Amino acid sequence: MDISTGATVKSHCVGTTAIVYASDYLNKLTGEQIERECRRQLDSGCRALVIDFADTQLVNSIGISILLGIIDIAEKSGAQVVFSDVNNQTIQLFDMLGLTRHVALAKNEQEALSTLSGFNPTLTLH
Amino acid sequence: MSSADFNSRVLTRVPRHDFVGRGDELDRIVKHANAQNGRGLLLLMTPSAGCSELLRQAYDQLFNQQSDIIPLYYAFTRHETTAVSAAIEFLQTVLQQYLAFRRKEPALCRAPITLQDVLELAPSSDLEWIEPLVKMYERIRFSNDNKALVRFCLGAPQRIPVRSGKAFVMFDGAQLADDLNGSVVLGAELLRVFGRSGQSFVIAGLRRQILDSARAAESNFELLDLLRLEQLRSEEAHSLVDHVALRSKVVLSREVRDLLVQQFDGSPFFITNFLQAARDRNLALNTYLDCERLYVDELLGGHIHHHFTNLLEEMAPHIDKRVRLIRVMWEAAASDEKSASVEGWRRRLEVEPAEFENTLHQLHIQEFVNWTGATVDATTGSQTWKDYLRVAYRLAIKADSRALVVAETIADSLKRAPNTMARHYKQSDRIDLRRVVGTFDCQRVPAVLFDYRDFSKTYKGMDEVELQSQIASEANLVKLPQIVHVASCYAFDSGSRKAYEEERCVVAHGFEDGIYTDAQQTVWLIADLESKLEVDLELAKSWFDRLDSLARQNDFQRYRVWLISNEGFDEPAGDLLRQHEAFCSSKRQLEILIQQIGATLAMQPAPVETADEFLMVVPMGEENELLAASAVEQIARRLTFPPQAINQIKTAIVEACINASEHSHSPDRKIYQRFRVESDKLVVTISSRGIMPTNIGSNNAHLSKQESSDSAAEERRGWGLKLIRSLMDEVEFQRVDEGTSLRMTKYLRTS
Repeated sequence: MDISTGATVKSHCVGTTAIVYASDYLNKLTGEQIERECRRQLDSGCRALVIDFADTQLVNSIGISILLGIIDIAEKSGAQVVFSDVNNQTIQLFDMLGLTRHVALAKNEQEALSTLSGFNPTLTLH
Repeated sequence: MSSADFNSRVLTRVPRHDFVGRGDELDRIVKHANAQNGRGLLLLMTPSAGCSELLRQAYDQLFNQQSDIIPLYYAFTRHETTAVSAAIEFLQTVLQQYLAFRRKEPALCRAPITLQDVLELAPSSDLEWIEPLVKMYERIRFSNDNKALVRFCLGAPQRIPVRSGKAFVMFDGAQLADDLNGSVVLGAELLRVFGRSGQSFVIAGLRRQILDSARAAESNFELLDLLRLEQLRSEEAHSLVDHVALRSKVVLSREVRDLLVQQFDGSPFFITNFLQAARDRNLALNTYLDCERLYVDELLGGHIHHHFTNLLEEMAPHIDKRVRLIRVMWEAAASDEKSASVEGWRRRLEVEPAEFENTLHQLHIQEFVNWTGATVDATTGSQTWKDYLRVAYRLAIKADSRALVVAETIADSLKRAPNTMARHYKQSDRIDLRRVVGTFDCQRVPAVLFDYRDFSKTYKGMDEVELQSQIASEANLVKLPQIVHVASCYAFDSGSRKAYEEERCVVAHGFEDGIYTDAQQTVWLIADLESKLEVDLELAKSWFDRLDSLARQNDFQRYRVWLISNEGFDEPAGDLLRQHEAFCSSKRQLEILIQQIGATLAMQPAPVETADEFLMVVPMGEENELLAASAVEQIARRLTFPPQAINQIKTAIVEACINASEHSHSPDRKIYQRFRVESDKLVVTISSRGIMPTNIGSNNAHLSKQESSDSAAEERRGWGLKLIRSLMDEVEFQRVDEGTSLRMTKYLRTS
């Protein structure tokens, strides 16, 4: 397992899947930090992204619009995106803004990896 | 009569602590007096900037100082009709104020005394010079030599014996001196007499007139100091409004205070007179409507009306000529023509060349027009003057009914008020490009600060400390030119004035490496674009083309276009600008550049206002919306809202705060929050000062990803409002004079 110790966003890789951890408040600043980390992971060869929201208590519309941008970037790179461990209130917001139409949701990180594994038979889990 | 103490008010009309905004100028005058170096100080006043109280404050300070400096203040008034009568009045004032000072009796300055009273009141030690002076005056007065009489009277301060002190004379309203009838041009005579007296003195008046008089008197400018008196700066003018309103017991809101400052362009004269009019009518000024109603009353019949009417009557005593003058001036001002033919004006005014020249000179002195020989520009006067002129034109020329003029002028003023404030807030909120480029001075800075795409790729989302560190280690540097002149774009292309906001779009002339050769000469054309998200191709192209065309029109040989936007530029826009070798930067890049070159931002936070007990005030930015969310969480818990509802309220408040921060250009950078708890609901009101977004209250959320990428700016704005409406039970936008007020209600449901 490759663990990244980026200054602001935690992430690690499982094979060619990057798991990026969102912080407690998703706004412009933290959204851009996640975007930066996702770009970095894609540039270094990751083929799938899991963004984990286990710590996320509050999100705002700018943070959500940045998530949409990340989904676009991933699509252009041919990578899959899964959101994991999103609380009910946040899912409600994602639903309202149509985000859930463009991304798969998983109960937790493990389920996200399984989803991706099922979607992509070549994905290798370590 | 009571003796003076240290704080006696002698001539001043307001106490020292209520005299605001001219502290530096007051110190300068008092220092000038105390220096006693025999120099003259010309106080050059912008029309309606007000200098009388400044001089009276200086007088009182010197009077209370009771040193060997004897302050003497004389104000020319419109009541004096001849140079001789003004000179006689001056002599009387000198003697009266001298006695008041010597006897330490401030009330003597204001007492109605005669020359005979002066002789009786004078201390015996002073009679030896006052008595001969009075006798000589009476002899010359009846000699029919006006010039000798005027010079004698003006020379009175020089006859004060050195052992009694040194006279320091301050003349106020000196522009009126030249309008006096008779064989003596008093303004020039003043400068001649005092310029040769060896005494320090002050002559204050309209700047154009004073300088003209000094040249006419062939003054030795090496012995004259100049002090320019402009309108008050915003913060000083705010303070003036607060002080005058308090003194006059006029209730007014912060919004009206700020509007007055902008509408009167910081003029102490207009601000003070306006508030006195409110006091006279016992009016509270709580809203823009209160303010503009009174303003229109003032234009049609109050202090402002009389001020301008008196000036016009002096320039054109005959009604026919005055009406023609109003017509010609208003039509020129309204047409926005900056260089009308002087001869054309003369024909339309139907006056002889000498009289016409005199009228034009007076208009120029009052700065109603700019007269430069063959052409005249009537577009330059203050907004208040133009409003007066328009009203006068409609009543006197068009013969519109008074009711119609009143109604339409109120309506126009009300429509203009939010735009006036919006323009001011935008200017306050902007980064001062002139100052930034003025600090370039051949410094080397990272090239990445001028290329948004490179910057975004490398630095976007980076931790601040790391960013600063990496910027500092950037190896690819560019050397900035030395800028020698900066002006607004519209100064180079007056035909497109509306396209350019004065401070957001500038042309900077300079030299590479500070070497003054043709080869090194360069021009930077810079625009700070307004956009909430990344600027797209269309907007970038239109601005590039506009500036490029401006450069070609002006035949700039080597030039560089630099576009700046808050959030940078999208990829196609960046590609286009790179292709044209234009620079493009986000506000963040500009801020870093400013740090690097040591310029200072113009944006200053407004002073903290006191919040009332029901209000929670949160500064914009710094994730402070979380503080508001946390506060409402505590309140909602007391009402036993379920966790999901609490989260919804929090999210709605966060969105409302972001909305207020993003759209308002708020002058105080604060968000005001009111929480009202009722038995079955929580009502939250979020408000901020600033500019009302044009699409406020709209509900145009774009839900599909494709649609949203087509209209990114609307998307983000729409999403915030969409969320608020979805999460709260009732949402209401309220229009106020400035800013937004958003009222959100969440009902407590028992289920």
